[in-house]
Amino acid sequence: MNYISLIEYLPYIFEGLLWSLALVLGGLGIGFTIGLPIGTMITYSDKYTKFILNVYIWIFRSTPLIVLLFLFYWGVFPNIGLKLSPLITSIIVLGLRSGAYQSEIFRGALESIDEGQILAAYSLGMSKIQAIISITIPQALRISIPSLSNEYAILLKDSAICFTIGVLEVLTRARIVSIATGIALIPYLIAGIILMMMTYIGLKFFHTVYKKTVIPGLIEGI
Amino acid sequence: MISDTILNVVDLHKKYGDSIALDGVSFRVRKGETKVIIGPNGSGKTTLLKCLNLLVKPDKGRIWLGNIEITDPRININKIRRKIGFVFQDFNLFHHLTVLNNVMIGLVKVRKLKKHQAYKKAVDALSTVGLDNTLYHKYPAQLSGGQKQRVAIARALAMDPVIMLYDEPTSSLDPQFVNEVLQVIRKLAKNGVTSIIVTHQIDFALEIADEIIVMHKGRIIESGRPTELLSNPQNILTKKILIRNFRTLR
Amino acid sequence: MDFWSNFLINLVQGLTTTLQILVISIPLSIITGFILGFARVYGNKIIFYISTGISTTFRGLPLIVTLLILFFGLADLKIYLSPFWASILGFTLCGGSYISEYVKGAIQSIEQGQAEAARALGMNKLQEIIYIILPQTLIRALPGVSNEIIYMIQYSSLSFVIGVKEIFSVAKTFNSLYFRSIEIFTTVAFVYLLLIAIATLVFKIIENKLKIT
Repeated sequence: MNYISLIEYLPYIFEGLLWSLALVLGGLGIGFTIGLPIGTMITYSDKYTKFILNVYIWIFRSTPLIVLLFLFYWGVFPNIGLKLSPLITSIIVLGLRSGAYQSEIFRGALESIDEGQILAAYSLGMSKIQAIISITIPQALRISIPSLSNEYAILLKDSAICFTIGVLEVLTRARIVSIATGIALIPYLIAGIILMMMTYIGLKFFHTVYKKTVIPGLIEGI
Repeated sequence: MISDTILNVVDLHKKYGDSIALDGVSFRVRKGETKVIIGPNGSGKTTLLKCLNLLVKPDKGRIWLGNIEITDPRININKIRRKIGFVFQDFNLFHHLTVLNNVMIGLVKVRKLKKHQAYKKAVDALSTVGLDNTLYHKYPAQLSGGQKQRVAIARALAMDPVIMLYDEPTSSLDPQFVNEVLQVIRKLAKNGVTSIIVTHQIDFALEIADEIIVMHKGRIIESGRPTELLSNPQNILTKKILIRNFRTLR
Repeated sequence: MDFWSNFLINLVQGLTTTLQILVISIPLSIITGFILGFARVYGNKIIFYISTGISTTFRGLPLIVTLLILFFGLADLKIYLSPFWASILGFTLCGGSYISEYVKGAIQSIEQGQAEAARALGMNKLQEIIYIILPQTLIRALPGVSNEIIYMIQYSSLSFVIGVKEIFSVAKTFNSLYFRSIEIFTTVAFVYLLLIAIATLVFKIIENKLKIT
């Protein structure tokens, strides 16, 4: 057990933070870009569209992340001729999965907005699309912030799973260090603590955004 | 077609499942007229009003707004709705927008006015309903019920509609706020705004209506000027409805 | 033996191991969750801090890190757990922590009046908890618990990193031997989807049964 090298390797583990961040933010971003339109479509369109979209959601929510990672990394991407790095593959897969979860979040938020808002929009002569874009989506976005912060926390933990296809985030590096030094407990604990800290900071950020976008006077839940 | 008829409603029918909401309703509204619709709950009043701007699609019947038949399926309904002002019982102000933006949004997004034009019209409408600039940047949740409903009226009014429809405008208000809203409606009616008001406030109806329409079980059972209805109601139900709600009538 | 028969036979063996893990972990995590949840609501200062500490830690740590610490990390301290039991411990702690959140929420959603009525009848605290609070908690926590169990079915795949020969490890092995990735992983995905569909159905039935009472 080589304790001296361990200390030298610590910065190496901390560097992984950048990769972890890339995974989470990339996944969250792609998820948002997919999830908002899909959630909106599921709330407002016909049953055939709903059905197809629900199939996508069901597949990406129910399949274990690790199966999706391997499926895309070893199967799908090579077969369509794409040679993507583990990092990019992971971001895409995390994004597709988060998109499925986020579409459910936005669907719930849109459905919770009372019908009167849309009726009023129609009464002014707005078309369905105008009403959705100007009236319901802005409100839904704000309602969704707590659920989105939860999604961020989940994504951060899922990012650690990407170590199985070799992305150089904190856990992978911790594993490398543990093999190099023969010490397992400390590197893994450190990786865990780094991830927990990232979660904590992220949640605080979301909470601040939530507070700053409060609609004055409106009591939550009413 | 009489040239100053703003609204012509012919034989409207509407069923929800097995229950009949409208059972052959017809009437006509002239420019500047104030029509008040009264009747017990479930008589179809709200359904009728919502059919007039096609928030509810009637099963049968035709409606003309001026010369345009709005029940024609080929019509662009959004263009029609701009010309009809609708005030909801529950206000339905947009939660996430300030008072000013609530009134401006229709002007900007639907009528495509430039911001400064919209601002002017919004300020005009808001002052007509008696709200000054101290409230412009407040959000609906910070207002009293009476203020909210007045903003809702301003929002509809700012669009320069040819007719204003009020769906039980004071039913959701605490008693102390009812008057300020009725005052606004009264003022607009006196200024010649063509209006249809659905209400339970019989005294108010008798005071400002050019014609009162009495509905029961989806039908118009009687209609006429307030004085006629009071002195010579044709229908027993009319008398019942008036007496139940009008305090000094015996 | 051709690819498919070989693969499927091994897959079934892996499935057996997965089911063994789940059958033990799920009840254990529910019990842990309820204990932690009630401890966080009714416990004194010490119990509250310990249970909240456990719950926060294992919800904050990714499951995969927990598993690695329990298997490799504890080995540093000369505590040797088998892959199988390390997985069960990991799932119990992680799942239990999440369930304790749902339980805590469920207890707190039961109005004051219930407890007051119980005490007005003369029940002591323990009776109040057992006869009034607990039954209602079971019903209210059910959606959260079933949600968590579905997560556990998905994340059971992670135990392969500490060497458990469950479904995913079979897939990984066959992938490195045959490289028929799409077929292998799509089949595995399908197996998990099936397991989750069954679990969801079971929970719907339980929910309906409880609604009638």
